[in-house]
Amino acid sequence: MDAALIAQLAWTGLASASFYCLSAVAFALVLKVNRVWNFAQAGVMVVAYYTLYLALRVAEMPLLPALATALAVTLAASWALERHAFHVLRRRRSNVLTYFIFTIMFAQCAIYLAELVFGTEPKTLAVEIVSPVSMVGPIAVSEWDVTAIVLTVALMVALHLFMERTQAGQSLVAVADNPELAEAYGIDTRRAYVIAMLLAGVLIVACMYLFGTKAALFPSTPLTQLIVFNVIATILAGLGNVFAAGAVAVILSIVQAFSILVIESKWQALLAYALIFVAILLFPRGVVLPRRVRLFRSPDAVAAPVVATPGKADT
Amino acid sequence: MTDRPRSSVNRRDALLALAALGIAPSGVPAFAQSGEVLRFGVADPLTGPNAIFGVDQMQAVRWAVDDINAKGGVGGRKLEAVIVDHQAKPDVGIAVVERLISVDKVPVFITAFSNVVRAVAPIANREKTLMLSVGANSPEIKNLGEYVYTTFPLADVDMRALGTYLHKNLGKRRAAVLYVNNETGVEGAKVVRQSFLDAGGQVVAYEGYEPERADYSGLVLKVRSVNPDVVHIHSVIRDFTAIVAQLRQLGSNVQVTSYQTAFNPQMIKELGKAAEGIIVTAMAPSVEDNKNLPGYLERWQKAHNREPNGLPYTQFFYDSVYIVAALFKHCIDNKLPINGENMRRALLAVRTLELPLTNKVTFKDDRSVDSPTYFWQVKGGRFQLVGKLD
Repeated sequence: MDAALIAQLAWTGLASASFYCLSAVAFALVLKVNRVWNFAQAGVMVVAYYTLYLALRVAEMPLLPALATALAVTLAASWALERHAFHVLRRRRSNVLTYFIFTIMFAQCAIYLAELVFGTEPKTLAVEIVSPVSMVGPIAVSEWDVTAIVLTVALMVALHLFMERTQAGQSLVAVADNPELAEAYGIDTRRAYVIAMLLAGVLIVACMYLFGTKAALFPSTPLTQLIVFNVIATILAGLGNVFAAGAVAVILSIVQAFSILVIESKWQALLAYALIFVAILLFPRGVVLPRRVRLFRSPDAVAAPVVATPGKADT
Repeated sequence: MTDRPRSSVNRRDALLALAALGIAPSGVPAFAQSGEVLRFGVADPLTGPNAIFGVDQMQAVRWAVDDINAKGGVGGRKLEAVIVDHQAKPDVGIAVVERLISVDKVPVFITAFSNVVRAVAPIANREKTLMLSVGANSPEIKNLGEYVYTTFPLADVDMRALGTYLHKNLGKRRAAVLYVNNETGVEGAKVVRQSFLDAGGQVVAYEGYEPERADYSGLVLKVRSVNPDVVHIHSVIRDFTAIVAQLRQLGSNVQVTSYQTAFNPQMIKELGKAAEGIIVTAMAPSVEDNKNLPGYLERWQKAHNREPNGLPYTQFFYDSVYIVAALFKHCIDNKLPINGENMRRALLAVRTLELPLTNKVTFKDDRSVDSPTYFWQVKGGRFQLVGKLD
């Protein structure tokens, strides 16, 4: 097999994995800390994307102010989602199904709103979606590839440092492990839930920026494509393993890129759904690696329930 | 879902519009308000990913209705289009066509998009309502039943011509064919592959893909590895743009071709210089072959300050209203009740029509039509005519 082809597939697969990785880590972080399968993330993604679209394409703002605007709007949406929705559901001790229905409905509502306001045709964030390319040996390296990889790595490192080195980050880990115990030790769990949502919001803005500068997005794309990918990555990584979810997303993306060598392209999308079946049936608690090679796993992160505490159904 | 055009036409606007088209009557049109309004249905995507075409196609339909009514309508009766949105989805198409037939009682309706056309064809046949397919190009369209006619040349016309053109006129020998995994893509790709093989070329890659993905780099690399000298992409416009962008970014400057769906100024804008050289087919005549087309393009500039998305499609849509008007006229002139069966009989009786924007059309026994194929290439940021095959 052509070595240049393999190298190019690996490189482009890695670069394209960036937005899957960011999205998966955001999803896994909220699952770990807030203990919610946050399908509403697709709605927040829609908010982030169309704010970027308004700032970059309609208002023609420079990149940094546009990103800052999108960040502010997305973080506000994330905060509102936690404080005015998840907090209420948590207080009511809502069951799994209620969370599921709410998050799906939130995402769908955001999609419909975006379709009404912006139309249903796909939109890009860049006027031109062709990024300048340099040849590094036999490999074509685009500016987008470099931006995507650098931005993703930087955000992952920053998140890791935040979780490991800051008091707020440690409080997230504590709340994720045992919210009642964390509260007994004086940790403000409500604050921790909000912080997790805000961190996810930052990752979502980066994810949407990268997506929209590579291809056009339909309002429904985050729910139908990215969230599906997130669920697979989160399950395979083992529930509660935030960074491992990102790593699995990268691996899945590269596997999908390489699958073109053995299967027709039209089967690649089906591959993702097949992986969901495999993951749920064979690896419900993730692919368990020897302890020394596990990535950033918290000591007792296990298959987390969807809600923080078992409780009675909605009243 | 209904978007009915306005019921009355401003006479001054209509005259100006007709003058722009170069088909204005010499005097003020005498519009006789005798008889009921002649209603026909139009189902097209007004929302969804394909609305970019549907909205402009409906503009063409509205203009045609306005122009015909401004000239006195059909036998003194006003024409009215009942426009519904099928979102290019078969299930939605079935619902809106059922509504056109059972609620609006139209004897004829126009629709497009191969997947929808296939889905609603059984309804047209069952209800004996004439259906005119405009823009759907799957070769299977002509086999969908006795009430389903196409006013639009099918892919076995332009894709067959493309294979020949690529091999004989451009000297291409190794083709890769990529197609979106739906009715239009699968059937169109089959024809272009066969025609290129028949012309003596070699198809070195033949690959379907699922639509709406962000990353096509694997597909593109697979194509690049077999070193074709032309890549034909039979796709929806969003994916076509993404695939070409990724093809160029991965260092391939191979000749790219597509069909009429890529005849889209937005595609050129998004690809920038990467769009240069792309060849697309079109079956509607160019300005060199049609005297009304410059006026039509000017009308777009005046009304919308741009060219329509998918110009050839809009030409066929505009003219489809004239076909409907001719069928109504045949029924009225021959004192036939206006229903689907008689509209079909009228079409078989009329057969050949001279149309404002697509010239002469003749319905063949197999319910399809023929047309020359025009080849357009992106040069200097705009489409320019580079060839024609009869």
